[in-house]
Amino acid sequence: MHKFAHISDIHLGAFRDPVIRDLEKQVLSETIEKCIELSVDFVLISGDIFHVGIPDLSVVNDSIRIFRKLQEAKIPLYAIYGSHDYTPNGTSIIDILETAGILTNVMRARTDDEGYVVLDFFTDPKTGAKITGISARKVGLESKVYEKLDKERLEHEKGFKIFAFHSGITELKPAFLSDMETVPISCFPKGFDYYAGGHIHKKSESDLPGYSKIVFPGPLFTGYGKDIEDTARGVKRGFYVVSFAEKVSEIKFVTIKGFDGEFFEYDATGKNSHEAAKELSHKLGELEVNGKVVIVRLKGELAGGKTSDIDSVELCRKLTSKGAIYVQFNKFSLTTKEYEGNRMGGDDISTIEDNYFRENIGSVKVNQPHLKGREGAESAKELLRILRQQQKIGETKTGYQDRITTSGIETLKISEELGTK
Amino acid sequence: MSLEAAKKAVEYLENNIFDDDLGNPHFGATGVTTFPLTSKDFRPISERSSKRRLVFVDGGNQEVLGAPNFSIQLNRVYSCAWNGRNRVEWKLPRVEFFSSTYSCFKNNEIHYESSVMASSGESMDYLPDAPDLCFSSMERSLMNGNQRAGIERVGSVARRFAEWRLALKAIHDLSVGDVIVMDGTLQSNFKNEGKYAKALTSAAKARGIILIGLSKTSTLFTTTGLSLLGAVNKLAEDGQIKGNWYYPVAESHSIDHDVVISVARLNPIADRVFRVELQREEYEKLGRFGVEEIFSLLCQNSCDASFPGYPYGLIDADRFARVSYDEIEYYRGLIISHISKMGNGSKFLSHIHSGDAHNLLNLLVK
Amino acid sequence: MSKDELEIVGQVIGGNVAGIAIREKNGKNIELGDLLVAEENEGGYLILKVFNLGYGSQIPTEVRELAAGLKLEGYSAGLDFMDPKLRNYTMASVKGILRLDKNSQKIPKVLPTFFSSVRLATKEDLAFLATPPKYPIFLGQVRSGSKILDIDVHLDGESFITHHVLIAATTGRGKSNLVKVLLWSALDARKFGMFVIDAHDEYYGRSGVGLKDHQNAKSSLKYYSPDAPPGANTLVINLKALEPEYFDGIVSFTDAQEDAISAYYRKYKKDWIENIVRGIVIEDLEVTRKTIGVLQRKLRRALGVYEQGGELICDSDIFSLTAGETTADDIVWALEKCQTVVVDTSRLGEEAELLIGSIVASKLFYSYKKSKGKGQLDEKPPVGVVIEEAPRVLAEDKIEQGDNIYSRIAREGRKFKVGLIAITQLASVIPTTILTNMNTKIILGNEMASERAAIMNSAAQDLSDEDRTIASLDKGEAIVSSIFAKFALPIYTPRFEDFVAKRKKNNKDDDFDLSKSRLSVK
Repeated sequence: MHKFAHISDIHLGAFRDPVIRDLEKQVLSETIEKCIELSVDFVLISGDIFHVGIPDLSVVNDSIRIFRKLQEAKIPLYAIYGSHDYTPNGTSIIDILETAGILTNVMRARTDDEGYVVLDFFTDPKTGAKITGISARKVGLESKVYEKLDKERLEHEKGFKIFAFHSGITELKPAFLSDMETVPISCFPKGFDYYAGGHIHKKSESDLPGYSKIVFPGPLFTGYGKDIEDTARGVKRGFYVVSFAEKVSEIKFVTIKGFDGEFFEYDATGKNSHEAAKELSHKLGELEVNGKVVIVRLKGELAGGKTSDIDSVELCRKLTSKGAIYVQFNKFSLTTKEYEGNRMGGDDISTIEDNYFRENIGSVKVNQPHLKGREGAESAKELLRILRQQQKIGETKTGYQDRITTSGIETLKISEELGTK
Repeated sequence: MSLEAAKKAVEYLENNIFDDDLGNPHFGATGVTTFPLTSKDFRPISERSSKRRLVFVDGGNQEVLGAPNFSIQLNRVYSCAWNGRNRVEWKLPRVEFFSSTYSCFKNNEIHYESSVMASSGESMDYLPDAPDLCFSSMERSLMNGNQRAGIERVGSVARRFAEWRLALKAIHDLSVGDVIVMDGTLQSNFKNEGKYAKALTSAAKARGIILIGLSKTSTLFTTTGLSLLGAVNKLAEDGQIKGNWYYPVAESHSIDHDVVISVARLNPIADRVFRVELQREEYEKLGRFGVEEIFSLLCQNSCDASFPGYPYGLIDADRFARVSYDEIEYYRGLIISHISKMGNGSKFLSHIHSGDAHNLLNLLVK
Repeated sequence: MSKDELEIVGQVIGGNVAGIAIREKNGKNIELGDLLVAEENEGGYLILKVFNLGYGSQIPTEVRELAAGLKLEGYSAGLDFMDPKLRNYTMASVKGILRLDKNSQKIPKVLPTFFSSVRLATKEDLAFLATPPKYPIFLGQVRSGSKILDIDVHLDGESFITHHVLIAATTGRGKSNLVKVLLWSALDARKFGMFVIDAHDEYYGRSGVGLKDHQNAKSSLKYYSPDAPPGANTLVINLKALEPEYFDGIVSFTDAQEDAISAYYRKYKKDWIENIVRGIVIEDLEVTRKTIGVLQRKLRRALGVYEQGGELICDSDIFSLTAGETTADDIVWALEKCQTVVVDTSRLGEEAELLIGSIVASKLFYSYKKSKGKGQLDEKPPVGVVIEEAPRVLAEDKIEQGDNIYSRIAREGRKFKVGLIAITQLASVIPTTILTNMNTKIILGNEMASERAAIMNSAAQDLSDEDRTIASLDKGEAIVSSIFAKFALPIYTPRFEDFVAKRKKNNKDDDFDLSKSRLSVK
């Protein structure tokens, strides 16, 4: 009997806060130690090890130190790109880690004479498990790879097969991700023993006709955006350990507790801002927050006053003084009658940005079809993500500018127009 | 009671009509040579191809408005051309005209004076001459027994004269050997008719056109009192004469009726036979072969399923020459309207009423 | 060819407005359904349509009978009717359908000139039909009798769809072919959503030419099937996505059962089915065990869900405990983006098929209704819901048992830009109130007099004289009776494969090979 660990969506470096970063590191370390303890034969990560394609070197450094333990335990680490740790210009941190021998990228793709995408299997030497998969591209582009995939070849391969992927599957999309671009299951090769998914930040195990054991572990730590709220509510995070011989015999979820969380939701509807601030302060004061990550969500429509009258900084300070290790206020769902402004619906920044781009992409006058409509909105979001990247330590200003500019041009696919190719 | 009487009426005939002895053709007129009836003298008509055209001429007339002392009639004559079964292009128009007749007292007797009015310009050339339509009411050829001839009889005469005239015009569009078939006998029956008949026969002779008269009905008899057509038909039945045939029954040698008279069956399944007259001179010139060819053409034209044995050309000519009741009603309305416009309706009305009691009675009895 | 040179086919000889009598010129073979033209003096013309043919004869009936007897029994001896062309002929009964002059097209209120000649209508006479509307849906080409004129018939998609369509015919007359052509046209326009419940899996083109071959298929066509080919979506619906109202008119419940369902839904929301199946008791709810038992059985039959050993099991082909949470929303979203969504229900039982349709149609309908409330309906495209064997949901007895979403759409959908395209062999069982709401009727051949009557009685134009014509419609031939057409249009819908090949050729699609149009699977 053999075993492997299936992990995804670690998103190292997603948070800037040092406390969270530290927790993130601890969770990774704990996970790897658990894998060693369980004597898994290999570890498979289905994408988004890092939150960005070129993360902070300190984050990289810490991760290498942890991953090295696997090497020392002679447990190979296999991975594919995710949608975050992929860079348009082709070289990302995953490539560097592979070059350094930390991990092996199991996506081995080539194109045959007829234009079909041929995936070669990587065989784990110890177990004989055959692993292949499709890495993510910029959101939605991997669906083009699936369309051209030589499935027959993959389906006819004998042996224990694992298909790793980093996409949403249309049929298994959770309701809260209804707008996400996904790939229908019919695009996947049938008959694999295990489908190691990533990208969906919700744990699930599913079967569909012709496809058994489609597994999404969910984020290992806490993902980003709304995920930390769910973790604070008590949603379990972790990874899967899969036992197999010729077929999968057991799939077990191993919980890794990243932190103790406290989620508090306050509805300010009908109250004026001062009343709400006072009441909120009182209620928060009653919470037991020592050593916890505290997420506070404010929602509803204030009868009067401004949303900024609720001083989240002060409240945050109060909670911290009571021992909270990290506090996050989410006021995106809080509105006020007095001031309408340009409200965009959404519970978190990511959703708000999504909605904003989608609603306003039509007002941008461009000639290129790929910059219009939904695709254009996705490109805009990707560009924003690139523009958010900070200058790396040791990186010159010029180098930073060039990197961001190049990435941006690649993302928008306008190199021809600018004559930069 | 009436059933018994009817039976007795039939038995009376049964007891007095005998067709064992068919007799021989009997013509009351002088100058007619008859031929005995024997089964050996039936002449078969075999199918012959021929390029001769057959032109059929017929006419119709109806009184539009009448009284004992005047009559307005609508007259129509028509012709059509055939070659056997096939209609041939033919350009002569359908002739239509009104004849208007009134009575006057002349030479101690009632006379009828007429005028003719063509419906269209192209009919003008075919009209009879008006003076030819003036008769004494005691003209023998018009009278019915000893009764004074009714004024409406003039209409029939006008139509008959117009038929001759149309046939005469037709000759100009025909070639040697073509045939004109008149509906009825080639004999002139009315005063002044001879003029028209002679003009036609002369012209036909000059052009080599063959004239035929075909009568639907015949009042000829045999010497045993049987109808001549019926007797010949029975003779054929008894002799099992199959197919188409003709049987010459008489020759007439009078000036205005110089013809060979035959009885003919023009279709194998026809149950009717007809009297066919052919100009005697032409008959002799044609010889047996030629005469058979003419009859063969008639037979080919007599294959219409609606009336086997009767030439379709005459059916066609009759259809277009016929004056229908609806038309009469239409014209009557026009004429009466014109009369009242003239403001002298009473002049006509009182005379109309003197003669239409019978019509009124018919309406009442219905 | 000048109008003078155009062949005369007959002459007006009598009749009245209800039936003008035309004598056919010998050999011209006027056909039932032919469109004829009678010129008027001032340059205008009347279009006439033949609705009956009969024999005319100058020969009395008894004579004809006798002649026929003679011939049949061998006594004819060369007898025939002479002058046959003159004496025996065909009489056509026609009706005026449109009067045209330079400036207008109107329903005619006059007769053609007495004794005027008539000729067959040409493309030029019907040129006014050739101007396509703003968002055209192609239905076929104008047909005169069995002759096809080179004039495309389009109706404006936006109006045509939202005012509902009834496609009526008996089997084998070309209903599916017509629908395929219609859907292809909708894909051309990309201005409306089309939701197709494909009971026979015949529209997508799994094993032949189909909608998948459209040049816009990649961006504007979605296909759902329990056994999806590569690139298509698996038809799977999560049980949590089902709301009680989706079952209206599809699965019948007693009042007690409905009350129980409402209570469970109020309390458990998305988990109402699970809790019924597990037999979870709601306090204060007076519902008998028997009722719950019956509900469990009905849910098992309809959805394949039951409890075994404490575990919830769903063995349905299309309903699932884990997958398909967003399927219905995805479909509605696609429809709102003017996509055509084809759902293959060929492997499903009737109940499941209707339930799938009900789920999506309900979501769509209520979404649009909500948008109207917010004043946002104008931003949404019209959507058509295509359903086959419509009496399953629109028959009078079905509606009496309980309203369903389809009948609701048929009655109210127009207000919310949602239209029904109902296909049926039996129009007579659909209530008149619904039939008359369906403002376009595409009538294909139908031998059943009762069916023809039902359709004709609710048509947009007077089709009272079209009975024989409808009975004689051949495969592919149809009459389009619509409030959006000036008259009942006789059309011929080309065979879908030929239609596609021609379109591809016109679009210079050199790569398209009809014979190879199968799903490329590797």
